[in-house]
Amino acid sequence: MSILLAEARKLPAFVRRDFLVALSYRMSFVSDLVSLVGQILIFYFLGRLVDSSDLPTYGGTEVTYLEFAAVGIAVAVFMQFGLQHVARAVRSEQLMGTLDSLLTTPTTWSTIQIGSAAFELLYIPLRLSLFLFAATIAFGFGFESSGILPAVVLLTMFIPFIWGLGVVAAAIVLTFRRGGGLVGLGAMLLALASGLYFPVDLLPGWLVSFAEVNPVAVVTDGMREALVGGAGWTAITREAAVLAPLSLLSLAVGGACFRLALRRERRLGTLGLY
Amino acid sequence: MEVGNLAPLETSGAGAAGFAMPHVAADEPAVVLELVCRRFGAKVALDEVSLTLGRGEIHALLGPNGAGKTTLLRILSGLLLPTSGSVSVLGARPERQSRALRSLVGLVPSGDRSLYLRISGLENLIFFGRLHGLRRGEAKARALELLEHVGLTEAARLRAGVYSHGMRRRLALARALLARPPVLLFDEATHDLDPEGARSIRRLVEAAAGHGAAVVWATQRLEEIHGFAGRATVLAGGRVRFGGAVPELLDRVVPRRYVLRLRDRETRAVPPPARVGAAIDSFGRVESIPGAPEHLLVVLHTEAVLGAALAAVAAEGLETISCTQERSELEEAFLSLTGERR
Repeated sequence: MSILLAEARKLPAFVRRDFLVALSYRMSFVSDLVSLVGQILIFYFLGRLVDSSDLPTYGGTEVTYLEFAAVGIAVAVFMQFGLQHVARAVRSEQLMGTLDSLLTTPTTWSTIQIGSAAFELLYIPLRLSLFLFAATIAFGFGFESSGILPAVVLLTMFIPFIWGLGVVAAAIVLTFRRGGGLVGLGAMLLALASGLYFPVDLLPGWLVSFAEVNPVAVVTDGMREALVGGAGWTAITREAAVLAPLSLLSLAVGGACFRLALRRERRLGTLGLY
Repeated sequence: MEVGNLAPLETSGAGAAGFAMPHVAADEPAVVLELVCRRFGAKVALDEVSLTLGRGEIHALLGPNGAGKTTLLRILSGLLLPTSGSVSVLGARPERQSRALRSLVGLVPSGDRSLYLRISGLENLIFFGRLHGLRRGEAKARALELLEHVGLTEAARLRAGVYSHGMRRRLALARALLARPPVLLFDEATHDLDPEGARSIRRLVEAAAGHGAAVVWATQRLEEIHGFAGRATVLAGGRVRFGGAVPELLDRVVPRRYVLRLRDRETRAVPPPARVGAAIDSFGRVESIPGAPEHLLVVLHTEAVLGAALAAVAAEGLETISCTQERSELEEAFLSLTGERR
């Protein structure tokens, strides 16, 4: 327990380090915000082509395409973070040559891995909140305030699932140096059958059935029910029941893959190589 | 842009308290390696390497590129497991107590890529200090203390990316000392530094050893260890070619044979070997060289100094016309020991 506490106390150091590094690249902050605005505008104009009656209703409430897509974008950003950043964190330490320095400290791999993604873990929700807030103000979204907390809980439950996939990607990167794209491909297939940017009903029947248990579709649908339909906590009960075991499974598989990859690297002595 | 004008080093007095080491039994060896082997596929990087290192000792690890020095240091720092053999750092074994071992060892790697170049030297040290379990306030205080020791106080808040090579090495050294580790490992720590920069790093290392740290100093440069390291291990092709005291190593590799051309100051005649031999009897012996009647070979005893022998020759009324080492270069002799000389 004391080791766990000691390791947890190291996480703020990673956050501070990455905050200072991010601050040293001021332009990337600005370009990130500009790209958010660009994303909103793209979906705004795209939304003008889509008739709202073609979209599903949530709690009897009709939804505009921009409202529909905004939730999809939020989930997609989370996925992108989980899959890319968790894998990239280890890779970038390898490339910078700082991985050995980290590994010569009495710090566990889990701490290094979580710590390296901790800043993004805090920054991405902030970025998402900003995105949804700006879109709500600019385009008059009818999001229900009672749905915000359930939506956040659902997203939080989604993090371990995506984190697990990200750790699998990290294990692949650790082993093959490249190849994290394989997991990206899998994630793309999950995203395709999730209704992030278009209704699931447009898909072939077998993909619609798959979407019932696809965690990406489950969390997206649950968030729309909560935010647009105003269904509150009742909207996420079924989704949470589906999501929880899948998240645990993903985390367990990711952890096992990473341990195997790490053991192999230590045996071969190629951990610090890139 | 690089930042120069380093502050002076503090390696003695109250400031040296920064190197104070934790208490461990004085008679306990700090590092013990027994028959350590490490293979990378078919390549044998280390082959039955044994080594023992005591507290406060500076142990030189010599050898050409690919000799196995870095592999050995990576094993000692817990980054790599040996294929066979046993490793113990103050009782901690890398295969079972990797975390404990890493808290006992400070590594200064070769190259400049081990630091976060986008953040300041101070923030680098605070970050690594926290990974060693220090609270933020403690880490900052320790970082500032060490930056002062390594002469980087003025550059503390500059990005590490603008530091010169020498400054980055000093920062890496400060990082290695953060947790007051009883064992310090240096991998080619001075190989691309100017003589003053290299000397300043060695002075800091001597100060750390003076406060009880056991130091393994890997280098390719034989001249660097003279008067610095107490014992040495020479590696070549992953095998130990020499293990023992530095003077013993220098005896084996430092040329002690000189070819002299002498003349009697008054008669201008070439003196007989017996006359020269009598003059330098306490310094070494004299041999004639077949086919070169004007030259004599002088073989000095271990402790003899060439200058003193030449002074004795001069006192005998002989003039030295030329004096050359029989073997040309120190490094050539070193290479012959490691089997690298062609």
